Amino acid sequence: MSQARNRIAPYLSAWMTALLVVAAAGPSLAAEIKIASIAPDGSEWMREMRAGGERVRDLTEGRVVLKFYPGGVMGNDAQVLRKIRIGQLQGGAFTAGGLGERYPALNLYGIPLLFNSLEEVDYVRARIDPKLAAGLADAGFISVGFSEGGFANLMANEPIRSVDDLRRKKIWVPDGDQISYLAMEALGLSPVFLPATDVLTGLQTGLLDVVAASPVAALVLQWHTKVKHRTELPVTYSMGVFAIEARAMQALGAEDQRVVRDVMGDVMLGIDRTSREDNRRAAEVLTNAGVHPVAVNDADIDNLRRTIETIYPELRQRSDIDVAMLDELLAVLAEYRAAHPDAPTHSD
Amino acid sequence: MTRRTSPGAPRQASAGAFLALSACASLALTGCANLIGSMAADTLSAAILNQNDPELVASGVPAYLLLVDGMISQSPDSADLLAAGAELFALYGSRFEPDPDRVVLLTAKARAYGERAICLAHERACRWRGLPYDEFVSQLAVVEAKKIDYLYSYAISWLSYLDATSDDWTAVAELPWVEAALERALQLDEAYEDGELHAYLGILNALRPPALGGRPEVSQMHFERAVALSAGRNLSVKVEYARRYARMMFEQDLHDRLLTEVLAAPVEVPGLTLFNVLAQQEAEQLLRSSKEYF
Repeated sequence: MSQARNRIAPYLSAWMTALLVVAAAGPSLAAEIKIASIAPDGSEWMREMRAGGERVRDLTEGRVVLKFYPGGVMGNDAQVLRKIRIGQLQGGAFTAGGLGERYPALNLYGIPLLFNSLEEVDYVRARIDPKLAAGLADAGFISVGFSEGGFANLMANEPIRSVDDLRRKKIWVPDGDQISYLAMEALGLSPVFLPATDVLTGLQTGLLDVVAASPVAALVLQWHTKVKHRTELPVTYSMGVFAIEARAMQALGAEDQRVVRDVMGDVMLGIDRTSREDNRRAAEVLTNAGVHPVAVNDADIDNLRRTIETIYPELRQRSDIDVAMLDELLAVLAEYRAAHPDAPTHSD
Repeated sequence: MTRRTSPGAPRQASAGAFLALSACASLALTGCANLIGSMAADTLSAAILNQNDPELVASGVPAYLLLVDGMISQSPDSADLLAAGAELFALYGSRFEPDPDRVVLLTAKARAYGERAICLAHERACRWRGLPYDEFVSQLAVVEAKKIDYLYSYAISWLSYLDATSDDWTAVAELPWVEAALERALQLDEAYEDGELHAYLGILNALRPPALGGRPEVSQMHFERAVALSAGRNLSVKVEYARRYARMMFEQDLHDRLLTEVLAAPVEVPGLTLFNVLAQQEAEQLLRSSKEYF
């Protein structure tokens, strides 16, 4: 299982769902673009995507037709990439990490405790997203848009306030997510690899004690029925990427390419904007459902972060880390922090 | 005819849209058989459930809602009446009321009636609201078989409310509780309402694709069982099987076969005619969009 694919799971976001798969149609005049999604049919995201597809068809006067495959029928990120590789599909909407196999810089936002707050995320993304899009193009994928999945929080039956509270606990790490695994090890903890779909059972059977998920993901995956506390610490940030293989895009006329980018880009922008509010509301709902928010003190967070930063030298050696982009990102982050010395160490 | 948006296309907003609850509505209605039968015996049952004109029913049922409200206010401690009211409000709200805001009001009343009914029938249920999941499940385990009517109306009226408020994440959050109640009812009598509980559980298990922790094989098992228990006569079950399971799993052959069967089947089945007529209308729409979808 590829490392890239496994970065999906922790950040299961509301958005994460849209695996878009694009396949060129036959020799007919209309290019049929087949789009698959993990999101169930009828979901907000699928309806937005379908509405976008209709606009594309109208604006291109039927030359480009988007056909959707919801519900994950085309498989996970890795399977979609495999289908792209053999020419069966031409693109998809992935989790950022899911596309990291093709373009490792997309793994960077998911480094544990990289960001302190959503304000930092906004500052960094405004500057780094365009570079990621450019890098992705060099890797053969045209990015139509990025959208937020949100921060994963730690959730458990016992309140987790510090790294000490994590000791002797079985901590979930998404199957194959080596970067998170390294981080856990650096903290002297006991990570357990499992696919996200097995986590609920893992919590039921005691195979796991601590999981990480965005509030939205926790509700959708029904983990809220098995945990009682949510630590308000932004552990990892997730993002979705809607990308079409460059060859498939280039097969369209220039104007049609622009239409696809603009229309579906707007769809992604809309999803990006609503995602934050979704997570905010989902966090409230979690509290109402009996999953109590737990605060972490700044000293503990600094401690955690410093410990995790000790793995950076090792990260730099990895083939799934784009060192140059990491340095750019860290520089932008430092710039923000220098300009905001009083910003909170963390925000939920 | 006056109906809300199609079951496969929930109202805006993220949460509910995500789970696409609304399909439950179409099945919920068949539960009417029980309800109306218990209230006004065969006359009403025949008048509504054997009606093959949904528009007539849509315009006529509000009168019965008023009737039920009146009866409940006269006999506020009748668990049977409250349960009947819960189902009728749920079903009308879910299926026939076109205004989403009114659907919320109607189903909120349904839920309140359902809670009162089970509270009267099963005293511990008066403290169910807000219980943590595990505790709720263990409380359900002691509900006896003779209380299944109340458990059923409690669960489906709650479900109708979650459907109506599906634009809020609370609806997503509460879904496992409703599912647990339906599962308990199923344990008590899997053949209840000719397999209706299986149909609901088929839908609930198809709300999430496997990648999001859904269990399509469980969904399919429930749908198959629901079809078997209704001897294929409840056409809504097959329509939901096609819409929920077959579409999610991209099984076009199954989808088209189920819907073709629905269109070929007789609609005139005592207690099911009205909903079979509606099911055929939906089957036509789904079949028409099959090629485009798959």
